[in-house]
Amino acid sequence: MMNDKNSQKIVDIIQNWARKHSIWVLAYGTGCGAIEIPPTMTSRYDAERLGVRGAATPRQADVLLITGYLTVKTMKRVIRVYEQMQDPKYVIGFGSCTINGGMYYDSYNTIKVLDKYLPVDVYINGCMPRPEAVLSGFAQLQKRIAEGRANGAQQYKDNLEWYRANQKKIIPNWIMPEYNW
Amino acid sequence: MKEIKENIIQRIKANFADAAEKNDFKDNRVDFSVKKETIPSILFYLKDEMGFIHLSHISCVDWLEEGELEVVFIVWSPKDKIKVFVRTRLDRDNPVMDNVDMIWRQANTYEREMREMFGVQFTGLVAPEEFLLEDWQGPPPFRRDFDTAAYAEKTFWHRPGREDAQDVRETIANRDGEEIPDFAKKYSR
Ligand code: SF4
Repeated sequence: MMNDKNSQKIVDIIQNWARKHSIWVLAYGTGCGAIEIPPTMTSRYDAERLGVRGAATPRQADVLLITGYLTVKTMKRVIRVYEQMQDPKYVIGFGSCTINGGMYYDSYNTIKVLDKYLPVDVYINGCMPRPEAVLSGFAQLQKRIAEGRANGAQQYKDNLEWYRANQKKIIPNWIMPEYNW
Repeated sequence: MKEIKENIIQRIKANFADAAEKNDFKDNRVDFSVKKETIPSILFYLKDEMGFIHLSHISCVDWLEEGELEVVFIVWSPKDKIKVFVRTRLDRDNPVMDNVDMIWRQANTYEREMREMFGVQFTGLVAPEEFLLEDWQGPPPFRRDFDTAAYAEKTFWHRPGREDAQDVRETIANRDGEEIPDFAKKYSR
C-alpha cells in the first residue's frame, strides 16, 4: 500500500497536518534576535497556542531558528546542530542579518546570505522582528508545511555537495564528521 | 583627591625612572607611559604596594602613522578610587611583549584577544591559538590597515540589491508615488 501514489498522498496530508500543529523550536539563539523569543513564548503573545514551543535538544526539535548574524565560529555549531536534527526539520532565518547581512553587511566575520549554507524555509525580516512578525513567520511556515512546500531538509540532502562546498569555503579546517545519509 | 593623585605620581616616578607622566585633567585619573620592559614590574608594584588590585581593562591602540601599537593597562584602586593608565608602545612590525597573566589571571583573556585581533605576541602566554576567530585566514582584523569591507567582499557572498544604499523611505515613495516632505529630504542620502 505504501507504494500506491494516492494513498501516499493521503498519508502526506495527514502527516503535514500533524506536523504543522507541533512546531518545536530549538532553544538556541545566535545574534541579538533571540531576545524576541521570550516575549513570543510568554503570555503576551503566547506562541504555544499555535503549537510552537521550545525543545531542549536538537534531536527533539523541528525548527532551527537562526536569530540573527552568524559568525564563522557559530556557523560550525549551527551546521552540527542542523545535521543532528531529525526529520521533519525546518530552518527559519530571522532578522535582516540572515537575509543580506543587515547592519553587519561589511563585517569581517559574519556570513551575509544564510541560504548559501543552510536551506531556509521561511525568512522573517526586520531588525529585529517584533513578536507579531515572528508569529506571522510561524504562521507562514505552517502554511508551507500544510501545502507540503517546506522541504528544505530534502533540498539539503539532495544538494549536500553544493552546501558542503559553500560551508568549507569559510571553514577550511573541517574537523566535523562527514555524514552520508 | 588631588593630594592622593600627586602622591601616586611621586611614588611611581621615584620607583620607575622611565615612567613619563601625561597630564590628565581628571582628578581620579593618572596616566603613565613606560618602556615595555618595565610593564610587569610596574604592574606588580601597583598591585602589591599601592592597592591597585583591580585590572579594569587592557586595550590596544594602533598608531599606524607612527608604526607603533600602544598597549594600555587600566587598573583601579577601590580604596583610593583612582584609575591608573599604564601605556607602552610596541613596534608595529614585531609587536612582542611580556605576558602579565601571573599578576591578574583575567589578563589571559585580554591577551588572547589582542593576539588575535592585533597580532600582539605575548612571550610565555599559555593559551590555545584560536579564540574568537576560528579558521581565520586574513591579517589581524583590528589593525587600521585591514580593509574590512574588501575582506568581507572577498570572503562572503552578498545578496544583490543593496549596492545603491538607497534610503528605504525613498524606495517606498518611488514605488507608491508618494511625495517626500521637504524636511525629510534633508536626512535622505
Ligand atoms: S537583524 Fe538586527 S537585531 Fe537581528 S541580529 Fe542583525 S543586527 Fe541584530
